[in-house]
Amino acid sequence: MKKLIEFELKKIFSKRLSLIVLIGLLVYSALTALSTYNNKYAFDGKSADGSGKAAVEIDKALGARYEGILTDEKVQQMMEDFALTYDLHGLNAAYIYQNAMQSAVFARFADMDGHWNGLSVSDVFGDEEIRIGYVDGWLSTSKNLVRVFMVLALAVIVMTAPVFSGEYEGVDNLILTSKYGKTKGTAAKVAASVIAALLVTALTAAFNLILAVVLYGKSGWDCSILFASSDYVEGFIPFNITCGTLIRYQVLLAFTCTLSVTGMTLLISAASKKQIVAFVASMALFLFPALLPLTETNPLFRYVGLLPFYHVQAISLLSVEQIGSGILYGVWAVPVAAVFVGIGGVVSSRIFLKHQIV
Amino acid sequence: MELKTLELTKKFGHKTAVKEVNITLSNGVYGLLGANGAGKTTLMRLLCNIQNPTSGTILLNGRNIEGLGERYRNLLGYLPQNFCYYPDFTAFNFLCYIAALKGLDERKAKNRAEELLEAVGLLSEKKQKIKTFSGGMKQRLGIAQAMLNDPRILILDEPTAGLDPKERVRFRNLISAFSKERIVILSTHIVSDVEFIAEEIIMMKSGRIVHLGNPQKITAEINGKVWECMVPASCAEQYAAAYNTSNLRNISDHQAVLRIIADGPPLKNAVKVQPTLEDLYLFYFKGDERQ
Repeated sequence: MKKLIEFELKKIFSKRLSLIVLIGLLVYSALTALSTYNNKYAFDGKSADGSGKAAVEIDKALGARYEGILTDEKVQQMMEDFALTYDLHGLNAAYIYQNAMQSAVFARFADMDGHWNGLSVSDVFGDEEIRIGYVDGWLSTSKNLVRVFMVLALAVIVMTAPVFSGEYEGVDNLILTSKYGKTKGTAAKVAASVIAALLVTALTAAFNLILAVVLYGKSGWDCSILFASSDYVEGFIPFNITCGTLIRYQVLLAFTCTLSVTGMTLLISAASKKQIVAFVASMALFLFPALLPLTETNPLFRYVGLLPFYHVQAISLLSVEQIGSGILYGVWAVPVAAVFVGIGGVVSSRIFLKHQIV
Repeated sequence: MELKTLELTKKFGHKTAVKEVNITLSNGVYGLLGANGAGKTTLMRLLCNIQNPTSGTILLNGRNIEGLGERYRNLLGYLPQNFCYYPDFTAFNFLCYIAALKGLDERKAKNRAEELLEAVGLLSEKKQKIKTFSGGMKQRLGIAQAMLNDPRILILDEPTAGLDPKERVRFRNLISAFSKERIVILSTHIVSDVEFIAEEIIMMKSGRIVHLGNPQKITAEINGKVWECMVPASCAEQYAAAYNTSNLRNISDHQAVLRIIADGPPLKNAVKVQPTLEDLYLFYFKGDERQ
């Protein structure tokens, strides 16, 4: 069995298209991370400003300056430090961006003119203890991971679609007449597809996290996502989770997504006689939920949101009401992935071994 | 070992590809002859259990092959008529993969793969990717994969297609050496291949077995019906078209020899000759070819 799985993995990874897609995925990850890094801008409110590395340095310095639990005193201090010295000409100060910390405090504690709006920390965050610091790096990474994991899901489809459909193009008769072709041989195909999806997901996640650490460092991992600058939708997740928790959930959901996609694609692959049909049908099925006019406020989203497409759109899924004791609704993606893989693996195997050579 | 079919029938919609076939095969080489569309490939697929019969059963030593599963497939070697390979695999890796599917352990698989690559003349190309192979090389690799598990039942569908004469001779020798204590069934359009190595000939027409027997026995059926006659070269083609002609040979600028299959002497100077399997093939299948 081990040897058969090795051969199936070799088949998956020796396909030129798979290699192109994998290299493309890593290049896309690197370009997205570097482009985001270079597009950073920050002004410290006094004299220093810059973009790219300089901006990150400014944001990190400001993050370090205010690091710790967010208090009313810190809010006042920040409002004073980042007080606007120029006329806004009617612009809402909440949308002014000088640096990540200024944007975060203005979005919540400033009125239209950039003065304190009178709200206290408890008015905005209730009883939650908000740990602040340099979160911009991790939140940028989280934002990029949504795009990268979407491409990852498509890459897994490209890799998995030929697993059965490719055999129908002429090797199936050799496989099905061999001793283990209808038993271990078919099981090895499913196992190798799952292993390939896990490996590629782990590689992609690791590559992106390493890039994040190299570009932004590790600080902010234990800080709350709720004190995010106005750039990030992550700040709208209504739970006080840390950047580390957010990234961990995203990586978990990337795994559940690719596993679900693997199960779904295996099933379509076994049912399609042509690889191209398996590619197109799997991609269409995966992307179909994007066409549904559902948001997380719709009660149906609790169910539709568990489809693999929404696993990578993690912010929506993580915004659904918590299960309890700090566990987010997104963990339901785990049993869903198990169901997808289970059904996909079993049904695709049965279709393959029952099919008649014509 | 005995492989037996009982009233074996396979229908595709309204078309019957194999019709009530009853044959009993024991150890030996069987040549399956028939025109395109006669049902040879379908019969082979049924014997390989990769197509389900519409009715009838296949028994191995009295047991239905459906119920034997892995035990039956463990005895089987199959070379399909149309098949593909993994283009990015080397010949050696491909054989090792098929060997793993056939349940050979790693060391045995490697040894057997090398042995068979040598037997089919591909040892020096073992590390080449299959996508660089010619049609004949792929066919030889197909023959090698079918024999990996030292099968007791070897089913070869058009094994000599794409092989040059030298390779065909090599193949015939390989099968002859291999066939002891085994059932080997091979179909081909090249009658001479069967004539050389098959102990029994199975002739199929319109899904039915029309003849089963050794070449001498079945060619005896047309004893006295094969004639050779000399005709003017200028009229040779007209005569050939008028009669069931198995061969036309120009022996000079002016004269040609026709080999004709007919109940009586087709021409006055016709001489009776010993029938061959090719004559018998033409006797049965003249006009049957679909392609």
